Amino acid sequence: MNRTASPVLRFAVAALSVLGLLAWAPAARALTPEELKKVVQTLDDRQRNSGDWKALCYMESKEKGKTDVVYELLVYRRDQDDKQLFLFTKPKSEAGKGYLRIEKNLWSYDPSTGRWERRTERERIGGTDTRRDDLSEPKLAEDYEARWEGDEKLGVYDVHHLVLTVKPGVDVSYPVRHLWVDKESLNILKRQDFALSGKLMRTSYNPRWKKIYSESKKGDVWYPEEMRFFDEIEKGNSTLILIKEIDLRGLDPNIFTKAWLESKSR
Amino acid sequence: MLSTDVLIAGRNLFRHTRRSVFLGGALAAVTCLIILVSSLTNGIEAAMMESATTLMTGHVNVGGFFKITSGSAAPLVSEYPKVLAAVRPLVPGLDHVAVRGRGFAKVVSETSSMDIVLSGVEIDSEPGFARLIRPLDGKVEDLAQPGTMLLFQGQADRLKVKAGDVVTLSAPTSRGVNNTADVRVAVVAHNVGILSAFTAFIEQRTLWQLYGLSPSATGALQLYLQDPSQANAVAARLREALARDGYRIMDPDAQPYWMKLMQKVPSEDWTGQKLDVSTWHDEMGQFEQFITGVRWVAWLVVVVLLVVVIIGLLNMLAIAVRERTREIGALRAIGMQRTKVLWLFVLETGLLGLLGTGAGALLGVAIALVVNAVGKSIPESMQFFLMQERWHFLLQPGWVLFYVLLFTGVTVLASLLPAFRAARLRPVTAMHHIG
Repeated sequence: MNRTASPVLRFAVAALSVLGLLAWAPAARALTPEELKKVVQTLDDRQRNSGDWKALCYMESKEKGKTDVVYELLVYRRDQDDKQLFLFTKPKSEAGKGYLRIEKNLWSYDPSTGRWERRTERERIGGTDTRRDDLSEPKLAEDYEARWEGDEKLGVYDVHHLVLTVKPGVDVSYPVRHLWVDKESLNILKRQDFALSGKLMRTSYNPRWKKIYSESKKGDVWYPEEMRFFDEIEKGNSTLILIKEIDLRGLDPNIFTKAWLESKSR
Repeated sequence: MLSTDVLIAGRNLFRHTRRSVFLGGALAAVTCLIILVSSLTNGIEAAMMESATTLMTGHVNVGGFFKITSGSAAPLVSEYPKVLAAVRPLVPGLDHVAVRGRGFAKVVSETSSMDIVLSGVEIDSEPGFARLIRPLDGKVEDLAQPGTMLLFQGQADRLKVKAGDVVTLSAPTSRGVNNTADVRVAVVAHNVGILSAFTAFIEQRTLWQLYGLSPSATGALQLYLQDPSQANAVAARLREALARDGYRIMDPDAQPYWMKLMQKVPSEDWTGQKLDVSTWHDEMGQFEQFITGVRWVAWLVVVVLLVVVIIGLLNMLAIAVRERTREIGALRAIGMQRTKVLWLFVLETGLLGLLGTGAGALLGVAIALVVNAVGKSIPESMQFFLMQERWHFLLQPGWVLFYVLLFTGVTVLASLLPAFRAARLRPVTAMHHIG
């Protein structure tokens, strides 16, 4: 008679073996507060430039029930003065439109009417799912308190899962943000932005990061070459941003003026 | 004697049937047209008034804006109980006050989304609200429950939702932080004019929660007056008195609050609270301009048509005088006075005018009544401009009579010149006239 173990017994033996192996495996160690602080500061520091910044960007907006639109825009930054300028160059209907941020004021300009309108700092850029701060120097350590949620696997990457909660008295677009940070490179690979109500509003992925040497920083500046934003409230809406042709040379101070933006559509 | 004169005038008109029908028909058409256009604009205005005072404005509103920074504005009145206490004694003819939250949000359903102007309402403290709303699906009383909202039929159709379904509202708080609220559609109501295409109601506490406001803040105090015609005077009084009490008051501006919120207020360099006292005319400023424009165009068309009719009338009377010169001569020869000749001609045109305009008025009234009874829908593309979903003519008997008398009067005035010419004819010359 062929004596074999019953399926239940075989499953129990297998399960115990797996548990035994797991017990020997090194458990994910929580980041200490100091390590966590250092990670968040590094995230900011890696993208900090300390000088001027000019980039050619492409923005593709997909909205449910609407035709996809691709914008081409130039982004100018002078982070030490909190100045930023977006100049749309394509499509033709949007060419000449722009946003100018001077300190805490964000102005939008429409050449067809010649009017400037002051907008909220957290305005959607060009009506897409992109916010101004998506294309700015991050200030995560300054604006948020961080918490280590765990170490996880994101595709093939080993990542830290961090939860950022806004500090009291600070106004930001999203009061809670979850970040998935590559343990090895400390690139933010995935981000989820939550509303005040706790509802998930937006998930974004930064699959490609690049670095460029900055003379002003005397070091490398990292930037996500590709950003994909997925609207979690209106499923089906998404925005893709590609950052190309970065130039870190000093910019003319006149660029960050209303007159300069107006002159681009004359 | 008058009856004889009327009989003679009537016979003369009857003898020249084709001419009389042509001119009388033209007068009837013009009268019919002006009655239809004016009753349609009256209907639009009435629908607008009903829609506006139901959905977004009192006869006078004490609203306001709060700006944390120059660039971000929220439509709210902080510490509104204090403002209300200051306002009440200043408005003796006050019928009632509605405390309404104000906001702007994106409503997202499973299948669609739309931007919407939100009005926060506490139906327990606003008993008149249920009378204004005609529910199609669900109960208005359910809007008292937290986390509920009221959508109008067009919005529900667009979002493909019905009572009981849950939608997500997405809006930044007054500090610019993104926020959401999942709310249940408590009631779907019949549309109330075109404003109901982009205005919806939400339970007040849910609105506070969405915008991160304290319960002592609201969007506006909507004041409903016993005599709405006093709105401008009351608004001026409130502006002056509230400024004296130390409140910062915005200059009057005939724009709806959401346009001020989007454009004007964020562009201004101030922070903190400012109150904005507006009338329903201010809130409906652009729609009113549109109606005034429609009225001017209608009158222009009518004046042009009337000029054409008068030219035709002058021509007809000139021919009549020429044709009847010998007859006038004979009548003058047997003793008829010049004034009598004048009177006969004026009476003839007066009678023609009265019959023509009367027939036109009857036709216009009949068309309006039939269209109102049928309730024919206006094509969707025209609904925004006409601010109605169905053709509705608001007939005002006084105005109908006014148009009949006005056009008859104009006809009579136009007939005076040829009538004088007929009366001036010398009997001998007239009798020898060959024509």
